[in-house]
Amino acid sequence: MSFEELSHTADVKIRARAETLEALFTDAFLALMQVVYGTDRCDGIIKEIRIESDNIESLLCDFLSEVLFISEVEGLVFSRAGIAIENLHLTAVLHGEFFDPLRHSSGTEVKGISYSGLIIHKDANGYMLDILFDV
Amino acid sequence: MIDSVRQTGVNEWEVPVGYVPGMRVPGKFFLSESLGISLESGAIEQLANVATLPGIIRHSLAMPDIHWGYGFPIGGVAAFSLDEGVISPGGVGFDINCGVRLLTTPLAQKDISGRRDLIEELFRAVPTGVGGKSTLRISPPDLERMMIKGASWAVDAGYGVKRDLIRCEDSGYMKQADCHAVSSKAKQRGVPQGGTLGSGNHFLEMQVVTEIFDPEAAQAFGLHLGQICCMIHCGSRGLGHQVCTDHLKLLESATKKYHIVIPDRQLACAPITSVEGKDYFGAMASSANYAWANRQLITHTVRQVLAKMFRIEYEDMPLVYDVAHNVAKIEEHEVDGKRMNVCVHRKGATRAFGPDTDELPLDLKKIGQPVIIPGSMGTSSFVLRGTKTAMEKTFGSTCHGAGRIMSRTQAKKSLSGKEITANLLKAGIIVRAHSENAIADEAPEVYKSSDEVVNVVHEAGISRLVARLSPLGVIKG
Repeated sequence: MSFEELSHTADVKIRARAETLEALFTDAFLALMQVVYGTDRCDGIIKEIRIESDNIESLLCDFLSEVLFISEVEGLVFSRAGIAIENLHLTAVLHGEFFDPLRHSSGTEVKGISYSGLIIHKDANGYMLDILFDV
Repeated sequence: MIDSVRQTGVNEWEVPVGYVPGMRVPGKFFLSESLGISLESGAIEQLANVATLPGIIRHSLAMPDIHWGYGFPIGGVAAFSLDEGVISPGGVGFDINCGVRLLTTPLAQKDISGRRDLIEELFRAVPTGVGGKSTLRISPPDLERMMIKGASWAVDAGYGVKRDLIRCEDSGYMKQADCHAVSSKAKQRGVPQGGTLGSGNHFLEMQVVTEIFDPEAAQAFGLHLGQICCMIHCGSRGLGHQVCTDHLKLLESATKKYHIVIPDRQLACAPITSVEGKDYFGAMASSANYAWANRQLITHTVRQVLAKMFRIEYEDMPLVYDVAHNVAKIEEHEVDGKRMNVCVHRKGATRAFGPDTDELPLDLKKIGQPVIIPGSMGTSSFVLRGTKTAMEKTFGSTCHGAGRIMSRTQAKKSLSGKEITANLLKAGIIVRAHSENAIADEAPEVYKSSDEVVNVVHEAGISRLVARLSPLGVIKG
């Protein structure tokens, strides 16, 4: 896991670095869960989702938006994910538990995943991501 | 102030065409020299980007609470021609019809000062924070009615009184709502969240009127010195967030389909007259109506708590007004000497219609529209009134709040929730939230001074100060 929260006036800005695209998406997913629900999150329930998009930025935004949706309507808080990406098709197996107000109330709701300032960059060291969560 | 921006009046600045390539009109923003110190160049670039959109009329505008958003800056206002213009979710925001309302009471400060039991009771009665679920049973047909009729659905269902509706912008609903354009995902999110406050900067605050600037307007709005009021700040919850997410994707394709060149992906848009544009407008209006109904439901809960605790009548807590600050509307304005309908986007900006505007209720026609400006936690909130100058310069718009100047990361480093709560308590303000983080995120220090922001709009004449309200107790999400 390798992500950090950068300073941003209005929203939450996350920077992540990873060797593979799958690891980068996993970091973004973990950052999202941490922002909304805090750090005390466990396993137990498994949920699989599939996403298809036109480009890699949309694939990430669509994936995270879907996670937000499932999390909210099914009352699930996720702690880890197994992600596979092939030709702009993503399959994610999410592990989590039911929302517990006593343990999961230290975060803030994310209203949306922003395209503004979204950068997915690849160089010799791997991938780098900057992404904003609208809060 | 930022290079190449020039002053054109009191607290009034122009961003010339050419600041970014493709600008069709200049940018204009309202700011004092001292607030200019915290102005981000990124926000001015966003203001200039909006000026490149097709059909924009006169100026791309920003209010003094301007800061970096996405697509439009927060505090951004832009009007578009209905024939040639576009509509963009980036000009409305994820929290459609995030807004604020002010409720008066017959109580005085001595009745509620130090009453932690009141704040605890409100915190118990109004669901707040991450995962907050409605205690009301809203059925899917109720949800449809919320989206079509907004606050009037809530009043008809017994959650308010008829008079509340004439004290809401647009009488608490936009007639262009189209539920068919709202996805089933958005509807699923909407059902359990009716009557919930949410988190982030949303709050419910008990306040006291501590200063009257304009006695005639204050009287017309039902406000007097020493009076206890309740301010409610929230929006369309997950339903509105999902509508924005869904339609951003649809409008991104539409941007390409209609060959619209945009400098920033978050300005995805479609012609107002296109199928995609109309669908977004219908879904956005449905979300706006949901938000009005939501604030009405919370109002009902607050009235019940106050009525029971203080033995006062439900009907003795009239609404001053309810304003939307993230919305796009079709409104009639004067353009080049002619009255015409335009599509006004307000993203973190408040409608501030001046006297003699048709939309105002009869008893407010002479005074102008009440404008409710929430302060940050622990600082003053304000009531202002709309002006003719706003109609001429800003399509009847003004600021919406204090505007952040410090990031959440900085806030958490410099201030702990415990310290902030203790400091506020010393100042006589009780704060209740689910977590200390929520308090640290929204500490008074992270915002511009609300006094300074409202002084800018007052001096620029785009709204005029009526009353100051000081906080006594606040519940946060």
